Amino acid sequence: MARLAGPVKDSAGKGGLSTAPMRRTMLLAIAAAIWLSLQLVLVVWWMTVIERQARQIATLEALRGGDVGLAAAQWSRTRLMLIGESSTSLALLLAVSMLLAWLYWREHQRARSMQAFFASVTHELRTPLTSIRLQAEAIAEGEQRAELAHRLLEDSHRLESQIDKTLELARIEGGGSLREQSIPLHAWLARALESIVQGHGPAVDILAHVDAALPPIQADAGALQMILRNLVENSVRHARVNPVSVRLTASVHGDELLLEYQDNGQGLAAGAGRLGRLFGRGPNSSGAGVGLYLVRRLMQRMGGRVRFNTAPGEGFRAELWFATG
Amino acid sequence: MTTPARLLVVEDERNVAETLIERLTSAGFAITRADSLASARRAIGEGSYQLALLDVGLPDGNGFELARLLRERAPATAIVFLTAHANAEDRIRGLELGADDYVAKPFHFRELLLRIQNCLKRAQDLVQVPGEMRGQVRIGRALVDFERFLATVDGQSQSLTHKESAVLRLLAERAGKAVSRDEILDRAWSSDEFPTSRTVDNFIVRLRKLIEVDAADPRVIRSIRGVGYLLTEIQRE
Repeated sequence: MARLAGPVKDSAGKGGLSTAPMRRTMLLAIAAAIWLSLQLVLVVWWMTVIERQARQIATLEALRGGDVGLAAAQWSRTRLMLIGESSTSLALLLAVSMLLAWLYWREHQRARSMQAFFASVTHELRTPLTSIRLQAEAIAEGEQRAELAHRLLEDSHRLESQIDKTLELARIEGGGSLREQSIPLHAWLARALESIVQGHGPAVDILAHVDAALPPIQADAGALQMILRNLVENSVRHARVNPVSVRLTASVHGDELLLEYQDNGQGLAAGAGRLGRLFGRGPNSSGAGVGLYLVRRLMQRMGGRVRFNTAPGEGFRAELWFATG
Repeated sequence: MTTPARLLVVEDERNVAETLIERLTSAGFAITRADSLASARRAIGEGSYQLALLDVGLPDGNGFELARLLRERAPATAIVFLTAHANAEDRIRGLELGADDYVAKPFHFRELLLRIQNCLKRAQDLVQVPGEMRGQVRIGRALVDFERFLATVDGQSQSLTHKESAVLRLLAERAGKAVSRDEILDRAWSSDEFPTSRTVDNFIVRLRKLIEVDAADPRVIRSIRGVGYLLTEIQRE
């Protein structure tokens, strides 16, 4: 399971995609090539016609007994002007075509990402739903075990989290506002971590080393909760160890506070630069490609920044920089 | 007392896998669990199974790779895909790779159980090859071994899926006589898969590519208008 946000794949993993958009792109590329060729032919034809006219004017001028040298000079100037005009027109046409092609490509990529996202969200909703149905059917048939209830709670938590992330994504992308306030990190973490740990049960062990004397940070409490929850979920999903241990440490650097998040997972071979892209999912990733993107966007919206890091055998690490005050 | 059927359950979602295994064990099956492509490969190498329940999305690969491996190494094993992505493309790909059934999540356990039992029964019927079909049988340009689910063409062996094997064997058993599409559907597909006569036609196209010298001008599997298909030649080797 990759926590990596890689290019969207067109495969049979979690989120297979249609090849129809690819065919559309090919058709559009062929149409653009035909259109450009047509424009080129028109320009060449136009130049040929005008040059022939200029030559006829010069010949007529000579027949009329006019100044042949002057007519030849005029013809030469006309030809240069025509070449200039034609080149400019062609360059403009090319630029417009390239702009249109780029806009289409961007839109096409976005549509593919959206398709992959909805496929992933469907997967993320169907999987806990499958589990919930299996537990519920077992209970309905008379099984009474605490384990079934625990699984039901876990799955309902997973469903809730996925719905929250999707709604938050819609809110943030729609320009929804945050309510920043002064938050004392030590006291806030004590409460927030309790609910996060409860949601994951024994699968997660979080240890926070945060000094109570640290200055408060400027942040939105809801956004902060989602950031931590997404980071922990990312670890639980992709760390490939059980239980997952998370260490949180905080330190002050000038007028910023650095909150470091480190898990004990197996890490990833691929680079960390791709982490946090919207709808980005690595090969065989079971996520929807939203969690780390939301972490990055929410940090940006609060005037902070985040840096992700991962390497094989070194787990996953996030550096969260907040403004103090 | 009958030996419980051995099932390989490949599912990476812990809660789904654990509950499924508990319920299948209660239903009388012997279960081996794998939660990744690597562990499933190990399990396939170490044991034999009558049926494999494969999740399509796995942390280190996908169930399609396992289906391919199973078809090569354990052709008698029935394959049922479990997936949260029940789109048509995945379904077609799974069936082409030799899946016996395709179950979309979320499913009802009783429905899954029924499908598993149907697949096991069909797989059992396929493994029990009647005397005249044992060993190698020449059908067109292919040497077919129904017991090993193998077809050899020009020295190249190719594994047959359960459905391909079932369709070809039915035609071979009734060589020289027309077999209706409905009969073929009854033999190779379960009623809950909603196959159509077009499904049969697609399988015939694939079988023709395998056994005919020229699939565009079929001489071995002939179409009988309004009825179905007729296998013209079969020869025991």
